[in-house]
Amino acid sequence: MTLSGELLKGIYKENPVLRLALGLCPTLAVSNSVINGIGMGTAFTFVLLGSNIIVSLIKKGVPDKIRIPVYIVIIASFVTIADLFMAGFAPKLHKALGIFVPLIVVNCIILGRAEAFASKNSLGRSILDAIGMGIGFTLTLVFIGFFREFLGDGKVLGTPVMGSSFEPVLLFILPPGAFLSLGFLMGFLNWIDSKKVRK
Amino acid sequence: MRNIIKLSSILTLVTAIAALALAGVNTITKPLIEEQMRLAVHNALLEVLPEASGGVCVDVGEKKGELFEAYSSPDTTGLAGFAFKAYGKGYSSTIETMVGLDLNGNIKGIKILFQQETPGLGSKIEEIKYGKSKPWFQEQFKNKNAERVAVDKDDGEIKSITGATISSRAVTNSIRNGFKKIKPRLEKIIKGEQK
Repeated sequence: MTLSGELLKGIYKENPVLRLALGLCPTLAVSNSVINGIGMGTAFTFVLLGSNIIVSLIKKGVPDKIRIPVYIVIIASFVTIADLFMAGFAPKLHKALGIFVPLIVVNCIILGRAEAFASKNSLGRSILDAIGMGIGFTLTLVFIGFFREFLGDGKVLGTPVMGSSFEPVLLFILPPGAFLSLGFLMGFLNWIDSKKVRK
Repeated sequence: MRNIIKLSSILTLVTAIAALALAGVNTITKPLIEEQMRLAVHNALLEVLPEASGGVCVDVGEKKGELFEAYSSPDTTGLAGFAFKAYGKGYSSTIETMVGLDLNGNIKGIKILFQQETPGLGSKIEEIKYGKSKPWFQEQFKNKNAERVAVDKDDGEIKSITGATISSRAVTNSIRNGFKKIKPRLEKIIKGEQK
């Protein structure tokens, strides 16, 4: 695969959430506003980039039998670093994301990329893979977050845009709205794909 | 056997390096996080007790950050009021509120410090309406007597949020109960001040 393909595959063709259906838990939980999506996506990309770099660097030194505990220690360390920095520099965002920052440890996209990609590929490709997957995850969260915030709260990035007469569709801010938005988005992408195949 | 030793020593090495890195990061961020927490409390105090903005707030609680005496001048003279932290069990979280009082037990202002209530319903305890600058629910508490404050469903004066009676009641009741708990101490402090 070309280097640019390595970067771009995470955004559309192999989008971790919409295509591989991984990491659905944080997607459903923190996609109720755009800013939450940006914060979660940034923290996630930082952790994925860190873990992909380290895993790719030490891939030859790690015996097969203990690779999973080694990967998890690496991932958990980066998550803790991200958590501490967020608490120190962006306390509001840290409060809004709450438990979902520590839970990046068990986000299966990150372990999945370490196991399926970084442990088998060169450092450069692993970095591109992490950036691409991170952008793909962030874009998905921001996209769903935009719709849920707009329909469910009448706001864009926390600023009311619909005026006081707008009656928000509360359902979209609540958990069912997450399932609905994600389902429609996945369905829409599949529909586009099926049209392409027919041609 | 030799394999076990090899595997465990590699794993030990990995975790040791990780621990070292985390310790390093922690020394950098610890003062930052403490400063952020102090700032959050400080800002909340200024908001609920504007009288103390030129003076100082002294932490007098048994636990840190629970009860404050507010003075109108920096040299701890001129007792202006009190602030205390109230905890109320809401619908999906324990709501923390900073409450500012004058010397007669009237509420000067409240500020929700922490809540994780249902977005769009209970979270409206912090809602700022379109075109306004302050949250309407919290504004209602101004100049109400802390000992008698109650929501409308309990024959009080606080208008509860539609669809979020539990959250509204949690805030209101936590303030009333919190005040009752510290009232004897406040009376003692005021008496001491007058001597």
